[in-house]
Amino acid sequence: MIHVQAVLPVVAEAVDKGGGIFPLQLIGFALGVLGLVFFLGTAVGMIRFPDFYTRMHAAGKGDTLSTMLMLAGFALVTMEDFSLGSWLLVVKIMAIVLFLYITCPTSTHALMRAAFEDDEMPLEEKDLAKRKKK
Amino acid sequence: MIDWFSIVMGTALFLMMIPMVYRIWVGPTPFDRMLAVNVIGTKTAVLLVIIGTLFGRVDMFVDFAIAYALLNFVSAIVVSRYLNRTVSLRDMEEKEKAKEVEA
Amino acid sequence: MKNLSLIPVLIVGALLVYAAQDFPEWGSPNSPASQSPVSSHFIANTGVDTEVPNMVTAVLADYRGFDTMFETVVVFIAGMAVLAILKKSGKKNPRKREFEVDAEPDLIVTNTVRLLVPVIQIFSFYVLAHGHVSPGGGFQGGVVMGASFILIALSWDLDTALARFPLDRCTVVAGLGIILYAGIGLLSMFLGGEFLDYAELANILPVSREMARYHAMLGVEIGVGLTVTAIMFSLYANLSTEGRLKGGL
Repeated sequence: MIHVQAVLPVVAEAVDKGGGIFPLQLIGFALGVLGLVFFLGTAVGMIRFPDFYTRMHAAGKGDTLSTMLMLAGFALVTMEDFSLGSWLLVVKIMAIVLFLYITCPTSTHALMRAAFEDDEMPLEEKDLAKRKKK
Repeated sequence: MIDWFSIVMGTALFLMMIPMVYRIWVGPTPFDRMLAVNVIGTKTAVLLVIIGTLFGRVDMFVDFAIAYALLNFVSAIVVSRYLNRTVSLRDMEEKEKAKEVEA
Repeated sequence: MKNLSLIPVLIVGALLVYAAQDFPEWGSPNSPASQSPVSSHFIANTGVDTEVPNMVTAVLADYRGFDTMFETVVVFIAGMAVLAILKKSGKKNPRKREFEVDAEPDLIVTNTVRLLVPVIQIFSFYVLAHGHVSPGGGFQGGVVMGASFILIALSWDLDTALARFPLDRCTVVAGLGIILYAGIGLLSMFLGGEFLDYAELANILPVSREMARYHAMLGVEIGVGLTVTAIMFSLYANLSTEGRLKGGL
């Protein structure tokens, strides 16, 4: 930990600070960790799934949901007092959430359509069997 | 506590981006690579918010995050459109060649 | 051969990482950038002189006004050069690419873009006008605004976008931005100051000299934003179609 403190003063400050937790922030922590779990699913899926369309399934769904959950969690975490500034912050972060909620599936769809018109065919069972033999 | 949470979240996000980089490196089709780039882009918007929380200036970094998410969307649309068109051009050229061979 | 070129890249990367150890700590008061008299002067005087909280904007648009003005002119010249080169070649040999495929506009993408474009444009205005307080300004707002037009051109086709923002109007708007910037400079010159000395605008605006600089910076940023928007879109329209302005990406 001493080494980390020497490298980044921000980290050192964070280690020194501590501070209390509000119930709202606990919900925020929970949402963030939940987002991490979903993103873990995306990461595993991107490596393990056999073909493009299944990978798109993992990336399209898990990525959108985990991003939204994490951002919502941070919106709650940063809300220390209920002043106007913190409300503005929450509204802005929620604007990003809404934006990603609309754009992520759309870009996934556009990529999938481009792949489909490229005659990129989904895997069938015999392809999988062939792959297992190898 | 908030800073601890931010550091842990940011590190975990960063570590989980490594599979995406692997997919960009290996990915058999260009679409795989673009998909991984897209995932990294959306996660970078989250990372920007996390960095803002660490520095205590979330109000500034949120604007960056919105702009980043927007440009990420534009890039995904551009690449899908570009790949779509170039591929159809290639197909047309092959068809043209096949016609010439027949004639 | 491809792998061989990795070796110098790795060596240079290792050297850069090694050199990065000598960097001053983040936010350290002992770093050379913090110790030079210039930065302490700006930190002390920006808020007093101009009433702009964001020092970067104040330095960019006021203290270094000449620099930013000619940066805008450089952007304008780049756009005009592409226009001049490609327009002629596009007319001279209109190579009809017979393989050109008109991809149908996608229903889902077009509807999403229809929803998003107004939001993006309002966000670009926010970035432009809020540049005094938060990061942002003319260049950034112009890029976001130009991206919205490029998004229209991508999701429908180039003709739809050109119907909303014709190319000759692009040129006019780009010139208008520079005229606005230089006009504010000249106006302050006529009012008795030097070129781009915004404080003299207090003679005609009902505000103090400091607030006059604040408002003049906003006008200057709007000029930059106009130029960047128009040049971004015209660059995209020309470069993606090789100057023929048909079909496109």
